[in-house]
Amino acid sequence: MTDFKKIEENLKTESRRLLKEGLVTVVLAYGKGFDENHPMPYAAKTIADVDSIVFNEYCNYNMARYLVRYPQGTKIAIAVKAADSRAVIQLIQEEKVKRENLVILGIPVQGMKNPKTGEVIDSKTTCGMYNPVLYDILLGEEVHGVKSASPYDVLAEYEKMDKDARWEFWKGQLDKCIRCYACRKACPMCYCDPCFIDQSKPKWADKAPQSPGNMMYHLTRFHHLAGRCIDCGECSRACPVDIPLYLFHKKVAKECEDMFNQQAGMSIEDKPVLVDFRVEDSDKILE
Amino acid sequence: MLKKIAIEKISELAAVLMEKGTLLAPVKEVSGHNFAEIKDPKQVDLDFYNTIMSPKGAFFPHKEDFVKYKIGEPLSEVEPAVLNLKPAFLFGVRPCDVKSFEIMDIHFDAAGIIDPYWRFRREATTIFGYAYDLSQPVDSADFYNTLGIYAADPEGSDIFMVKKDKELLFKAITKKGENLLPELTVLKDGITADEKYFTEYVNKGKEYKTRFMTLDQEVVAKKLEDIFDNTDFWTKMSAACLSCGICTFVCPTCYCFDICDDTLFGKGTRRRVWDACMFTDFTLEASGHNPRTQVYQRLRQKICHKYSYHIRKYGVISCVGCGRCTRHCPVNIDIYSIVEAALKA
Repeated sequence: MTDFKKIEENLKTESRRLLKEGLVTVVLAYGKGFDENHPMPYAAKTIADVDSIVFNEYCNYNMARYLVRYPQGTKIAIAVKAADSRAVIQLIQEEKVKRENLVILGIPVQGMKNPKTGEVIDSKTTCGMYNPVLYDILLGEEVHGVKSASPYDVLAEYEKMDKDARWEFWKGQLDKCIRCYACRKACPMCYCDPCFIDQSKPKWADKAPQSPGNMMYHLTRFHHLAGRCIDCGECSRACPVDIPLYLFHKKVAKECEDMFNQQAGMSIEDKPVLVDFRVEDSDKILE
Repeated sequence: MLKKIAIEKISELAAVLMEKGTLLAPVKEVSGHNFAEIKDPKQVDLDFYNTIMSPKGAFFPHKEDFVKYKIGEPLSEVEPAVLNLKPAFLFGVRPCDVKSFEIMDIHFDAAGIIDPYWRFRREATTIFGYAYDLSQPVDSADFYNTLGIYAADPEGSDIFMVKKDKELLFKAITKKGENLLPELTVLKDGITADEKYFTEYVNKGKEYKTRFMTLDQEVVAKKLEDIFDNTDFWTKMSAACLSCGICTFVCPTCYCFDICDDTLFGKGTRRRVWDACMFTDFTLEASGHNPRTQVYQRLRQKICHKYSYHIRKYGVISCVGCGRCTRHCPVNIDIYSIVEAALKA
């Protein structure tokens, strides 16, 4: 794998060039935070801004989250790691961004770390891929020959639970929720404006951090992301009370894959499974 | 008067306090420590840096039911929520958080409207402040020195605690503390060396350095007023902001709330729930108009409220530099850096 410093250098060089040549008006990448272990999502708009771009093992943000903030038609360069590129593809499929307006700067990388725990982020909490699926410019050598566990391995324990045990498990986890909504805000696929939970007419759930409101919020969000979640793990990392949201998303993704033989965000030619109909589609859901 | 106990016997003290009333103390949870009502004295765990959530919830809970009612019933049938009338002990509060209660008193117990819930809880509660462990490194997010607060300031606590090796020293600071301390017979008397240690520790706290910048209240208040319309600055500062509510929920001095009616099948509860200026619907008006639709407007509101409007209205910055907003921000937005940048803007 190309080392982090070299990737940072390449990221800066390409960003400078793209801004200088006027090919993009903004580069979505990672910037300096208050110290080295705390980089931030960053939007470079001028060549001078590029100096503040960084790349290290804590730059795990999915920058695709910020794409929908810019008006349609804005020329954007975006730095993406493997899962992030899948988010970009999914957003293209959902027509939130157009392929021709993007310059995708691919970063093949392994060994990203969670700044809160210091643990290496792997297929337990994410899709576990190393190489971007879609890119225009690659900022390092692709990672090959490193085995990654299936993103669904982590479900083994969960799948052993029966229906009642799963209910108890989620009830316990979701009771912890403080309703800060960091999960939906960190999610590149949660772009609804307004989100159903913010609506007052009708009001779908109570604001208090307790069930049934907590259940209503999370279960609805889980299902809104069915066939759309690209397993970047941002929701779980953003959660201040460490709810393992990734488990539910992975479970739903696995079901979708079993039924429709398609993973989210793998090709811009695909249609999101739940808005597509194919004669050969599984009828399992109706059984 | 100075008392002490071995830290390993802390659960004995907890048991005594639980007999006297409600004990709120740090307990270890999956993601870190938080203040919780103690059910088993063994739960109390002082091996923490600072809690995830601030202790404001002890006086101003995240969710507070006021009344329960049935639709169509006369007002006289409404059931008001019953306040816990027992004395309470808030145990193990860091000096910066102790300071926050004084700031919050302005809103709930001074500025016109008196909030009976806040006031009652404040009066019923004895605060056991707890100095930071000066032998441990300071967290890089903290900046309470900037706000004139030090790691071992006893001010504001009723009883202040300092760690001495494997012992915990207790000193009464207020009348409330002086009345309580002798009643805690599980504690032993301190010796002269302990008195000396305590005093030195408090002084040494001043040398335990967090991030620091010279902050003149008037200058920062004025500066933020001047750059209110500098959209470029605020857009840049908020480029990463997700606009979630973590920073305000963990903050010891954020006090915004919403009054909600939760009704189902004709039965309802009216309650107060924390709200956050970072939420899109925070400023949504009944007409459908929303004066703060952009992330930069919301982040600007938060910074200006704490570091400008609050100074203008109440003469004090609404921040104690505990570092929680920075530490728990999923994208590492740092209020200290924003204020610093604003002063240079």
